[in-house]
Amino acid sequence: MSQTVGVSPEMAGLHTPEARINKHKADWRGWKFMWPFAVVFVFVFIIPIVYAIYISFFKKQMIGGTKFVGLENYTRLFVDQQFWSSVGRVALFTVVQVPIMLFLAAAMALALDSMKLHGTKFFRISTFLPYAVPAVVSTMIWGFVYGAKYGLVGSFNDFFGTNIDVLKPSVLLAAIGNINTWEFTGYNMLIFYSSLSTIPHSLYEAASIDGASEWQIVKKIKLPELRGSLAITVIFSIIGSFQLFNEPSILQNMVPGNAITTYYTPNMYAYNLSFTGNQSNYAAALAITMAVITMAIAYAVQLKSMKEQMK
Amino acid sequence: MSSATMASGRMTEAELRAQEKAARKAEKERQKRIAADEKAERKRAEKSGFANVNNPRRSALMTVICAIFAVYCLFPFVYLAINATKTQADFTSTFGLGFGKTFALWDNIVTVFTYQDGIFGRWFINTILYVLVGAGGATLLAIMGGYALAKFRFPGRKLVFAVIIGAISVPGIALAVPQFLLFAKLNLTNTPWAMIIPSLVSTFGLYLMWIFSDQAVPDELLEAARVDGAGEFRTFFQISLPLLAPGIVTTALFTIVATWNNYFLPLIMLKDSNWYPLTIGLNQWKDQASTAGGQAIQNLVITGSLITIIPLVIAFLCLQKYWQSGLAAGAVKE
Amino acid sequence: MRNVKKVLAATAAVATLVSIAACGSGSDGNSSANKGDADKAELVFWGWDSGNSMKDIIAGFEKANPGITVKFNNTGTAEKTSTALSNAIAAGNGAPDVVMLEDPTVTQFAVTDGLVDLSEYGADKLADDFAAGPWNKLQYNGKPYALPIDSGPEMFFYNKAVFDKAGVDGESIKTWDDYYEAAKKIRATGSYITNLAGTSNDYQPFTAQVWQAGAQPWKVDGEKITINMTKDEGMQRYIKFVQKLIDEDLVDTKTPNWSDDWNRELNDGTIASLTIGAWMPINLMTGAPDQAGNWRVAQLPQWEEGQEVSAEDGGSALAVVKLSKNQAAAYKFIEYMTHGDGAQTMADTGTFPSLKKILQSDSFTDPTTEANKKTNDYFGGQNVNEVLSAAAQRPTEKFQYLPYNPYAQTAYGDEVSKAYSGDITLEQALENYGKKLAEQGEQQGYTVTLK
Repeated sequence: MSQTVGVSPEMAGLHTPEARINKHKADWRGWKFMWPFAVVFVFVFIIPIVYAIYISFFKKQMIGGTKFVGLENYTRLFVDQQFWSSVGRVALFTVVQVPIMLFLAAAMALALDSMKLHGTKFFRISTFLPYAVPAVVSTMIWGFVYGAKYGLVGSFNDFFGTNIDVLKPSVLLAAIGNINTWEFTGYNMLIFYSSLSTIPHSLYEAASIDGASEWQIVKKIKLPELRGSLAITVIFSIIGSFQLFNEPSILQNMVPGNAITTYYTPNMYAYNLSFTGNQSNYAAALAITMAVITMAIAYAVQLKSMKEQMK
Repeated sequence: MSSATMASGRMTEAELRAQEKAARKAEKERQKRIAADEKAERKRAEKSGFANVNNPRRSALMTVICAIFAVYCLFPFVYLAINATKTQADFTSTFGLGFGKTFALWDNIVTVFTYQDGIFGRWFINTILYVLVGAGGATLLAIMGGYALAKFRFPGRKLVFAVIIGAISVPGIALAVPQFLLFAKLNLTNTPWAMIIPSLVSTFGLYLMWIFSDQAVPDELLEAARVDGAGEFRTFFQISLPLLAPGIVTTALFTIVATWNNYFLPLIMLKDSNWYPLTIGLNQWKDQASTAGGQAIQNLVITGSLITIIPLVIAFLCLQKYWQSGLAAGAVKE
Repeated sequence: MRNVKKVLAATAAVATLVSIAACGSGSDGNSSANKGDADKAELVFWGWDSGNSMKDIIAGFEKANPGITVKFNNTGTAEKTSTALSNAIAAGNGAPDVVMLEDPTVTQFAVTDGLVDLSEYGADKLADDFAAGPWNKLQYNGKPYALPIDSGPEMFFYNKAVFDKAGVDGESIKTWDDYYEAAKKIRATGSYITNLAGTSNDYQPFTAQVWQAGAQPWKVDGEKITINMTKDEGMQRYIKFVQKLIDEDLVDTKTPNWSDDWNRELNDGTIASLTIGAWMPINLMTGAPDQAGNWRVAQLPQWEEGQEVSAEDGGSALAVVKLSKNQAAAYKFIEYMTHGDGAQTMADTGTFPSLKKILQSDSFTDPTTEANKKTNDYFGGQNVNEVLSAAAQRPTEKFQYLPYNPYAQTAYGDEVSKAYSGDITLEQALENYGKKLAEQGEQQGYTVTLK
């Protein structure tokens, strides 16, 4: 990765960026800055992923040891109802929770950026603060709140004589969605907010001199600016909700009955297969398949617009 | 490093360089002026209460709506704070948002730090170590990587993004086993490295710094520096880094939170409680209530959680200023 | 140039992988080579510690064996410990010398060759010194693979205040029929006689109950497994009884064991009794402090009048890991902890012992010792250990766990909970559960017969 800078003296005389960046020969200088990240990334992600792909073609048994089985794990996965039900669940979760959360985050970012609020600083910090709470703690707190007997919901029921149970199987997913929304709205808000604040102030001035209304400024200047950061927030949110794990698994023991099964989400299923089912090969096949599905969806939804952004 | 040798071939080198220098200086000054103007304008606008020239009124309605949202965001903190004042007995028997029969906050805090020979303090120090080295390193790697992606067209650049998105799409849970095997092979499990090395990768931080470098560091400035004969690293440290400062704060914020709250990986990698971070330690205390013959210590779990969150809250409040200055710098982009 | 790099990178990756893969299968070395020096070693010990007594016991051991030091790593819970152990065994690296395991998981590690057969060190001769229940659970192919540190004979704990209110005398409940009659009376007062939710946390009480009913839901014979979840006579007895409790709303089916709500319901009297292991007193004392003085303990109700059949719920044991290079010293340590002086220290600090010598000793049931006094006060002055000790010495049927017990436990929650939420009958749920267990057995290479 040495510097193979192929710029001839003649060209150097032009003193323009175009001349410096040689289009025909490789410019390796970037790697001088890229390699530390790349090395750690390969070590922490790429090698384990390659290994996971490798073991997904094997099967380890308590009786009989390890043997090569080709695509058997994948064909088994293809007809595994538990797996597809968990995929359906996170897909539903993604379709509902991600838009709500991103809408709230964008609305909050626009509100903060409008400077029309009393106490902007307070609102900014209070929206972002939940992000500081570890998932273990936030799920625990919300679990206490949700309790239909002893939680705040229970107190509400006692007081109004209602019989609300937010943890019953039909609405449980929404209850989990609420925890995620609480945790990550502030995080997304900050991304939107930073991107709004890159809009040069002179632009607003010019717009208002031209007689643009506030709403027009939002529509014509701010929303287009948000579109760029929307791509990244959507991708990260999709990946995040497809990997739903912490919240449901911590909530598992707080939910009446056993509404949260060990295959509630694909990630929980992979975890249980791997750590209690002694089927880490099958779990690896599951993980690889999930990665492919996630990437396909992320790509379909947003990657294109993001690539444009990246030039 | 290479640009110095390149320019030396010219006859009119001295003049050219002087010219370059002057141009660069002018450009720099211009940028500075714009930044200063923007900053002053923002400040003025904010002070007088109007961000935009044409919206002179603050809206009470909007404030109320946001206040409702703020209550939603903050009430779990209130819950935590209130319950940290309760004894174990009060915790199981009294109303969640009301105080207990005794005010045991101080007792709880003392117990948290003395329980099991004061292991909580050790976890606290560990977490700080992991944050300093892990999140600090992650921020540095993200800055360098993001800068490279934004400012150089190197071979493999286009691949980087696809590879990263692909890699983070793989459920981390399933990578835990291969990661564990790899670290075990290198004798790194049960050492701080098992926690620090994975923390060094912040894909989101890389993305942030990519965007930010793209916007905050003008190509002209880099060119000028190179023409001056500055090596790539000198250019990076002397010219780019200061411009990137606000973005760095934001990235650091994300990496600090990610490291501070990291849960799953240390759970697999660390089996020596002397190296636990706070999250694992707290969870171990929480588990104790559901161990046959174990003692329920929810009061300590709750108080410990509160103590765990406080440093981050303080960091947020302190860094708040910098996000703001980050805004002005971001505005240089035109 | 780029291609060269790609090839290089790929080669490096493959090389790393091969080395990882290779290390995964390197665990079957000759174990006698790893005996090490019995008097000189640095031992690593993984386990969980509920009573904070581990430090004292280790100090005692190190004093008695000056050449050996023991480093205790608190690994949290039983589940986390066994997960960590299987990870370390897979890596062939980083495993402890001594590990604490829940009794039912011992067979799994014995089957997969992760633990040392302790008869090499003469542990088989200790059989008669331990209570039969815990000892029997730790045998595989007739050899001991771990020594019990505690035991958990299933007991009947009840809240006398609630029972009195319902007009039920807890002492007079001798059979499960009595229990059923009592359940109806207690339900009339608004409380439940107990909670049954069918989650994975209820798996151990489930095995204890069917065990006591004389059922044999599964049978392991080498590489052959027979699963008979619903046709077995004992299972039928159990299913009919529990289904009745569910249908008549006599049990709280919403609250799983070990949840916070569970503690709260124990604390406010909503749950009036528990059938659970003898280690429960300390959990009750901290989890339900408001009911101090109200709880009592009695022998488990019987299926037939006049019987005295017991069963085991929980319990943990110590084993020597095959990867250890200090196996002789490690055995010395577990012998000290379970059979030697350490066992006494543990019993003194609240662990329910499995060593007959301690169970039968006067000091164990002496109401004047500080620990006993504290417990007895919570139980309204009852001599708790006397009752528990009697239970521990009752005969138990032999009961086997599946070699893939952790899976059996989580799958129990997935399948059987449906019966408690009323979606399907318990019989259907258990039938589904049996199918899943059979599937897992086949996946693991066993020959499974499903009845």
